[in-house]
Amino acid sequence: MTSIFLQLLVNGLVAGSIYALVAAGFSLIYSTNKFVHFAHGGVIVLSSYFLYWISTTLGLDFYISSFLTILFATFLGYSLNKVLYQKFRAKKASNSVLLVASVAILILLQSLSLLIFGADVKTIALPLSNHSMNIGGVFVTPVQVIIVIISLFLFFSLRLLMQKTKIGKAMRAVADNNEVAEILGISSERVYSTSFAIGSAIVGVAAILVSLEQNITPLMGTSLIIKGFTGSVIGGIGSVTGAIVGSLFLGLAENFGTWFVSAGFKDAIAFILLFIFLLIKPQGLFGNKNNQK
Amino acid sequence: MIDAYFIHLLILIGIYLILGISLQLSLGYGGLLNLGHIAFFGIGAYAFALLSLHGFPFALSILVASIISGLFGWLLSVPTKKLKGDYLALVTLGFSFVVYAVLLNWTSITGGAFGLANIPRPSFLSDNFLFLLFVYAIAVISYLFISRICGTRFGKLIEAIRDDELAAKSLGKNTLKIKSWGLVISAFFAGLAGSLFASYITFIDPSSFTLTTLIPILLIVIIGGLTSLPGTVLATIVVVLIPEPLRFLGFSSSVIGPLQQILYALLLVVIIYYKPRGFYGKIDLE
Repeated sequence: MTSIFLQLLVNGLVAGSIYALVAAGFSLIYSTNKFVHFAHGGVIVLSSYFLYWISTTLGLDFYISSFLTILFATFLGYSLNKVLYQKFRAKKASNSVLLVASVAILILLQSLSLLIFGADVKTIALPLSNHSMNIGGVFVTPVQVIIVIISLFLFFSLRLLMQKTKIGKAMRAVADNNEVAEILGISSERVYSTSFAIGSAIVGVAAILVSLEQNITPLMGTSLIIKGFTGSVIGGIGSVTGAIVGSLFLGLAENFGTWFVSAGFKDAIAFILLFIFLLIKPQGLFGNKNNQK
Repeated sequence: MIDAYFIHLLILIGIYLILGISLQLSLGYGGLLNLGHIAFFGIGAYAFALLSLHGFPFALSILVASIISGLFGWLLSVPTKKLKGDYLALVTLGFSFVVYAVLLNWTSITGGAFGLANIPRPSFLSDNFLFLLFVYAIAVISYLFISRICGTRFGKLIEAIRDDELAAKSLGKNTLKIKSWGLVISAFFAGLAGSLFASYITFIDPSSFTLTTLIPILLIVIIGGLTSLPGTVLATIVVVLIPEPLRFLGFSSSVIGPLQQILYALLLVVIIYYKPRGFYGKIDLE
């Protein structure tokens, strides 16, 4: 019994850490831009395939490939903002229009991956041995340990970035009130770009870890962005700290849920949680009520 | 051969037309950014398939499936009554994910990823041409029904609520009830389209009811222009036919699928950027 409990706890933490990486970037972008960037899921998919392409097809060293993947994700997210969203903003498009555009881009990026790489799942050869270790009756793989450590590390660095640095303060200012921030000489367009770059870099890290932990499929973008999105809603959309806590909560809830229902219903558990939070506590656990409409 | 293919396209146009005009009611007239429409389509298709697989007569299965879908519309409208704009979009999208997850995982009922096969079609409609006539009869009735109710007091009210809910409320209108009815009727017709789809294709699986399928339907409503039903008809024809030339360029079917999605997604982005009101739209997407 205790070992099942511990195993579910570990599985939940690993799943939650992956969601947290998706949610952190997503939430960071939401906090400044104030619209739902669903295409974030598309950035994960394309970045994962990019990693597969350079590390497996071209045979580049895994660590160099990972670094290039993060650059690729950053560039992709940054360009989406520059090429697409900025144009829409210039036309004073409503949030609903931006949301529809970003859903379309998500489908576009997924279909593009499907077109280029085909529907069969891809796996990445691991640079380290990934035999699961038995620690007190609980099975953990080295990759899973790395996933949890990296998300913890990113969690604290993001907090530091948001609280202590100049750009972090500018982001919070724009998130709070972009008009006042503009008056004080903070360019909100620059802050938007920065949050897209940082958010997408984080999701590049997520893409690498997901590729190691699971298979790469074109449709994983939708499912990951929904999980990341659910995590951010639970934590309070727009709060990066909340997004990470909410994602861990989601990962744990999903895995402990399998105690009661079959594992296939994991997704349903996540969506029902999303539903409940959107309806009953839309400001989430850490969200600011003023962010809501 | 060309004939059979032509009839197939016309049937698809008929089914998408019903989907398009039903979404027009909630998204265009009601101003409710409803991204869960595809879920009602799926609920209708599965309800119809299950009923007719259990031996219920064809007409009854269609009717009951549409009503079940309408009931789900009501169910969704209860908690979402007060939501607007992107928050409503997210809850309705979440709803479609719940429905998808249930369809995929409730294996004992829905057949899971394998879906439901051999859905019966009545013998008098076994010929595709007759089925085509049947779909068009239903499409015309749906069109007339929706255009009729949009011209009545109900239609004026739901548009008034879209434009200024507070003003409508202050005139003593029960705005929540009207919005709720808008969603119910919209879901009913989406379920109807789902039933027709299931009985035409005779095989359904959850993959037909995902975010990916939502894009062409959204595209139909936006290209046609919000609140324009004639525009929706024109847009349905355009949207169903646009990817068809791909088939004649010699691509394999594994390439056509994603290419079609890319085309739809690009088109949607381009349209909402350059021509957000589509052909004949009178209002903007808020």
